[in-house]
Amino acid sequence: MITDVQNQQKQSSVSSLASESGNAGQGPGDRIPFWGRVSGRRGYQALVDFLFASERRQFALLAGIPFIWVLTQHLGPVLQMLYVSFLDAYPVAVGAQTHLTLKHYLLFFEESVYRMPFLRTMTYSFALTFATLVIVYPVAYFLARHVKRQNQLAFLLLLLIPFWVGEIVRTFAIMILLGNNGAVNLLLKSLGFIDRPIPFMYTGFSVSFGVIYLTSLYMLLPLYSALEKIPASYSEAASDLGAGAWTRFRRVTLPLSYEGVASGCTLVFLMSTGFYAAPVLLGGPSTTVFAETIAGFFHVAGDRWPTGAAFACILFLASLTITALFMKFMGRLSSRGRR
Amino acid sequence: MTGKTRILMSLIYAAFVVYVFVPLSMMVVMGFKDSKFIGFPIKSWTLDWYGRVFQDTEVMSVFGYSVLIAIGSTLVSLLIGTWIAVLLAGRKFFGRALIFSLTILPAVVPGIISAIAFRIYARLLGIEPGMMAVIWAHAVHNVPFVVLVIVARLSTMPTNYIEAARDLGADPLVAFTRVTLPYLRPAMIGAGIFCLLLSFDDFVRSYFLGGYQPTLPVLIFSKLRSGMSPEINAISTIVIVLTAVLGVWAERSMRRMNGASR
Amino acid sequence: MSQNPDTLVQLQGVSKRFGSVVALDDLDIDIKAGEFVTFLGPSGCGKSTTLRILGGFEKPDTGRVILDGEDVTRLPPNKRKVNMVFQDYALFPHMSVAQNIDFGLELKGMSVSQIEARRQEVMSFLELDEFGSRYPDQLSGGQRQRVALARALAPDPALLLLDEPLGALDAKLRSQVQQELKAIQRRTNTTFFFVTHDQDEALTMSDRIVVMNGGKVEQDGTPEDLYLRPASRFVAEFIGETNLLNGHCLGMEGDEVVIDWLGTPVRARAGGLQPIKGSKVTCSLRLEKLGCVPSRSGSEMGIPAHIANKVFMGSRTAVTVSVDAAPEVLLRAYVDAEMAIGSVGDAVQIDWDSANLALLRQ
Repeated sequence: MITDVQNQQKQSSVSSLASESGNAGQGPGDRIPFWGRVSGRRGYQALVDFLFASERRQFALLAGIPFIWVLTQHLGPVLQMLYVSFLDAYPVAVGAQTHLTLKHYLLFFEESVYRMPFLRTMTYSFALTFATLVIVYPVAYFLARHVKRQNQLAFLLLLLIPFWVGEIVRTFAIMILLGNNGAVNLLLKSLGFIDRPIPFMYTGFSVSFGVIYLTSLYMLLPLYSALEKIPASYSEAASDLGAGAWTRFRRVTLPLSYEGVASGCTLVFLMSTGFYAAPVLLGGPSTTVFAETIAGFFHVAGDRWPTGAAFACILFLASLTITALFMKFMGRLSSRGRR
Repeated sequence: MTGKTRILMSLIYAAFVVYVFVPLSMMVVMGFKDSKFIGFPIKSWTLDWYGRVFQDTEVMSVFGYSVLIAIGSTLVSLLIGTWIAVLLAGRKFFGRALIFSLTILPAVVPGIISAIAFRIYARLLGIEPGMMAVIWAHAVHNVPFVVLVIVARLSTMPTNYIEAARDLGADPLVAFTRVTLPYLRPAMIGAGIFCLLLSFDDFVRSYFLGGYQPTLPVLIFSKLRSGMSPEINAISTIVIVLTAVLGVWAERSMRRMNGASR
Repeated sequence: MSQNPDTLVQLQGVSKRFGSVVALDDLDIDIKAGEFVTFLGPSGCGKSTTLRILGGFEKPDTGRVILDGEDVTRLPPNKRKVNMVFQDYALFPHMSVAQNIDFGLELKGMSVSQIEARRQEVMSFLELDEFGSRYPDQLSGGQRQRVALARALAPDPALLLLDEPLGALDAKLRSQVQQELKAIQRRTNTTFFFVTHDQDEALTMSDRIVVMNGGKVEQDGTPEDLYLRPASRFVAEFIGETNLLNGHCLGMEGDEVVIDWLGTPVRARAGGLQPIKGSKVTCSLRLEKLGCVPSRSGSEMGIPAHIANKVFMGSRTAVTVSVDAAPEVLLRAYVDAEMAIGSVGDAVQIDWDSANLALLRQ
């Protein structure tokens, strides 16, 4: 082996000093810090050795609670709802037998009283999602492409704060805005466009206005993050190749933001189908949505829960199907754009 | 981009800001109107409605109840959400993608369906409608948001922090509490405030699982159904102010996270 | 395997695979207490895997790790008397310099006053006294490196692992830190296990260098051994710059081998190798060991050649010559910058001391 000019002499090394200072100043008030005391405990060490003995045990320790939670708390409610929707009665009376049945689903197809709100919900959600996209896209585009990077957060925060205010308060704000003595009517009247207030409230218009007001942030954020990721150089390159502003947008920016469009629309669509308070407060008899129909089954004594569950399942399934089709469509669109 | 489009775009942004702020400011303004009728014109101003809110024992107790629910559910969401995030951000395992999708599920279930499903499941679990049921539903609903924030934070943590801690004598538990948790602190504060707001402002789950005791949004809802009153404006204004303060705090906490890591 | 009392670490038949990639192939290494050992090699050669196995971050597939006479193969990192300086230091960002250093001391179960004393000792040793309350993001690269060293040295490890700790520093600072690191190692008398891909770093600091390639040891020796007497072509080319001379073995003469190189019999140091007569052999000749003088100087002892290229490099001039016997064979030499070697196309004589021509393992 190698014996180089090795420094074998034991100089006053840090190690030897350590043992000296180890004995110094261990007075009665000299305590051991918390972590030293804990990890020095024999019981604690035994526990840790036991818990982390093998990779498998470590994983079980880490994954146990999350697996149980996700399965029972996240998936469980949906599955139980699905199960209840097939029962002939729920909650089950003492001593009674339950049977599986499809009658709650059939009821939906038999009664137009139920079909109408459902179709209304779907068309509203579809149209409002599209409207939200059209309204919010330029805003997101402006934020991502025209605002200086260091100012973007401030500009975004300005819009975020109002959206943190809850659904009910914001719905109430719309009620005041659109009321017969509201700001809009006042403005129109003072400008001389109208003599008598326009009854905006309790119509499809007020519901739509309210829903867009509630959902626009969920469109804004995905669009913004998708647009923000597109390097400005792409647009410059396109303009270098002679593309005009509109062509640049249509051929470069828009296809690259499809991902944001897809997730924003999905979120907004799913949200729109599930609104309950906004349609109740802003709408009238002619604007009953499916959420109100479903809720109706839960206000009575309880024997109609399975019907409510079945209708909720129908709504969920329909929303998911439309969302999935839409995602597929957007996927094809963006892959074609890439080609 | 040409100057013309730039001006057009900033006008659109400004219009959007107006659209977002006008309804809320109208509502705030109405809270100071010296009349029982909401609407224009406003002839004289008053602070009476605020005085009434603070003297209204029902409103005050409902407010406290909502805060309690928010705090309780946030604690549960933070604990479980962080746990799930640590699992998902760690090494790959079979079924991780599935667990991730299931984790996100409560955030994408439409409101009414989520409320109905929780209502049905609460009965299965034997939770009576009331405070516990609402805390539970809010906790489950908010877990996905915590997970997303914490996973994003964990993905920026160099793996050798943990190795360094282990190297210096820390067992896995000590390494987690003394290195990982402090690193996650800003993200947990941000996610926690976000949960507080989500819970405090939630209507649909509180409404279906609350039993006879309303939370603040449920109280406002039922007051609105029986007629508008400037008192509701005063309550709502207080909610807006609280929300804005908490929200800005959360945003700052999250933003600091992206800068210095301390 | 014999148990030398000086031996601190023994790796016995250690192998490690990652999927289908063999990171370490049956490695046997002894490290003596107080040594400054450097593992040198290109990325993926197994040097970092060795380091991580010593630290306890990887478990070897086969083989044993003996530390201070104790089998630590299955021991987790927190139970080993081994500390590490990480590549990018891995200082805890939420703790001050003092808290970073205290971390390991607290977990050793030391009391407050012991920790205090030890921290001050280490910090003054590494000239960090005024930085105790600073946070890592308030320090320069060099200061961070010293804090990482202080944190790792504080618990008084039997073995200190250093994973390319100078990689993040700029070139000027790096050479200064190299000297400091060597001095620190001497003064603490701690065993240093240093991993790098930088040959200069390895040559200036180490007592001993282990050159790794493809999970195996290429050569294990002092810096002088490696530089002057490379054992294999890989080592000769990886460390410093060299000329490779290809020829046929004519036979052995004591410790030297006689080679037919371009028709000229030349002598090379065999270094224990015994090539078969007539076989192809390769020898290494360092650039600065190749003598090169103008032909007109009268010395006709060398091999005739012509200057093919000349690059002025400040303190010296790099000359590429083409050997007259085979003009396609190019050799490089360093000559004194003051020397009038001539210009491209001029005739020169080249020669060398046979002790500097090292026969390489094929």
